[in-house]
Amino acid sequence: MSIELPADATLRAQNRELRARLDEAEQMLRAIHFGDVDALVVETATGPQVYALQGLDAAANRFRGEILAQVSDAVIAVDGEARIIYLNAAAERQYDVTASAMLGCKLSQMYETRWLAHGDERTATRALREHDQWRGENVHVRHDGRVVQVETSATVLYGNAGESVGVLAIIRDITERKQQHDKLLVSEIRYRRLFEAAHDGVLLLDPVTRKIIDANPFMTQMLGYPHDQLIGKELFEIGLLKDEAASQEMVRKLKRMNQVRYDDLPLEGLDGRHQEVEVVANLYDENGRAVIQCNIRDITERKRSDEHVRLLMAEVNHRAKNLLAVVQAVAHQTAKYGDPATFATQLSERIGGLAAGQDLLVKNQWQGVDVSDLVVAQLDHFKDLIGTRVLLDGPPARLTAPAAQGIGMALHELATNAAKYGALSNRAGLVRIAWQVTADSDPMFSLTWLEQGGPTVVAPARKGFGQMVIGRMAEASVQGIAEIAFRESGIAWTLTTPAASALAAPGEKV
Amino acid sequence: MDTQDFPADRPHRARILIIEDEPVLAFAVEDLLIEAGFAIAGVAGRLGAALTLIESSACDAAIVDANLAGVSASPAASALAARGVPFVLLSGYLPEQQQGDFSGAIFLQKPCRADQLIRALRTILPGRSV
Repeated sequence: MSIELPADATLRAQNRELRARLDEAEQMLRAIHFGDVDALVVETATGPQVYALQGLDAAANRFRGEILAQVSDAVIAVDGEARIIYLNAAAERQYDVTASAMLGCKLSQMYETRWLAHGDERTATRALREHDQWRGENVHVRHDGRVVQVETSATVLYGNAGESVGVLAIIRDITERKQQHDKLLVSEIRYRRLFEAAHDGVLLLDPVTRKIIDANPFMTQMLGYPHDQLIGKELFEIGLLKDEAASQEMVRKLKRMNQVRYDDLPLEGLDGRHQEVEVVANLYDENGRAVIQCNIRDITERKRSDEHVRLLMAEVNHRAKNLLAVVQAVAHQTAKYGDPATFATQLSERIGGLAAGQDLLVKNQWQGVDVSDLVVAQLDHFKDLIGTRVLLDGPPARLTAPAAQGIGMALHELATNAAKYGALSNRAGLVRIAWQVTADSDPMFSLTWLEQGGPTVVAPARKGFGQMVIGRMAEASVQGIAEIAFRESGIAWTLTTPAASALAAPGEKV
Repeated sequence: MDTQDFPADRPHRARILIIEDEPVLAFAVEDLLIEAGFAIAGVAGRLGAALTLIESSACDAAIVDANLAGVSASPAASALAARGVPFVLLSGYLPEQQQGDFSGAIFLQKPCRADQLIRALRTILPGRSV
């Protein structure tokens, strides 16, 4: 079975018709030639004219000549030495010659014959010798070099005494038909390849019987049925539609609307594998014959992806809301403990700190944040001082997302404080930020912020939000202990926690 | 902030367990509850710690974040329900996006106002005057 395109079908019909007409003309010529026809009645301008064909009288001969002149195929007769003894008007046209110039010439002077396959010439000669006729295809090359693909029907001519006197050939130019056929072949190959290689299942159904008449390889793969087991089945028999009534309903709808679409059908293969499919059925006309084409697409993956997107959206919503809640809490705390005059500045600085932490998490796809990256991000205002007055020292260590948030906020508060009152408020102070992970069986992670060389430190009289952040909040974020010492030489802050509760395991999503 | 007027020295202040993975929020809620006259039964930021606290501490109600560092808090909700402890569920998810079983809880969307949280707590603490 092949997909029949409307163009193919039309061409084939034309070919059939032409062939029938050729056969008819040939039969008539043969009948005339062998004297099977007694007389012909031809309508002429002066009324019906009866031509008697029996006997070799002049009228009969003239009639034969007229008939042959009218035939659209080239007709050529040669004698026993292959000299041209007759050619009709079509032959003159086909080979671009005149009968007067060609009569008596060798056939080879009119065209050169090329055989399509080795042995074709021998087959033709033998057919003429043994059966008095040959029919086949070959190529004629005209004197001007033009190549004509032809179909020839040749018959041996006999004289009155029964001796062979030559050959009569009816030669049809099939160059165009050949080109059409080639195009058809290319088209057939091209569309068959689409059908064979498609990553959608394709089923062709007979609208009358509703049975499958063809299925592409992808369809057989989807269902797990071999091709021959699919042919002749109805859709409900392969589990695509619920029952026979549904099958009938689909065909009814198709006849009314030409297209039916099912967005989400369950499909169970022979192996029990469950798939979600989308089916689009179309009713097509193939040169007067109706056919239903069903395209079946496996949408399991698409549905999974839709579900994934839905989950991601929920996650984005959750994270956004969470962050808003954090911002809300920070605003509350800033208002409660801070100076009303600097509320707006303090709040936007803190929100900036949160944003920097968020950026790092997103950049690392929530896979945790490296300690040094976090320190650099939170000390963005002082990045020019890093390496000179802000010294970082510690091994590569990846913090979990909550730890990164908590520690990030603490670093932000420490840096803000250092810039206002501490080691970064003058031209000489130093901040050492060091972290380490102990090597024992229950490793501990600790991070130290140590200021030196700043103005003399005075412990604050009242605990503000900043102290809460570097104290209890930092502790809570890593389930650790924060120690704050307001030494005269500078603030010393250390956060110590089991590494397991602050650091991300390699590859862990945090 | 809605602090209302209940005395901080009340003899039987309701003890609230805070299950929240976000340290800033946990702290803010703690601060808010203390100001509103509640006592803090404990703070847990992870499911494991939450389950241990539910098991070991005496509490009258809880505030539960639905998602604890990427893990659904529904086991904690079940543990609370099993002990007859009422709780308020705080979540950034929409109710229909919620994963896990939190039936019976009062659901509050993050971010929520302080007075909403306090009102919700009072609603689930029947027979108490706080």
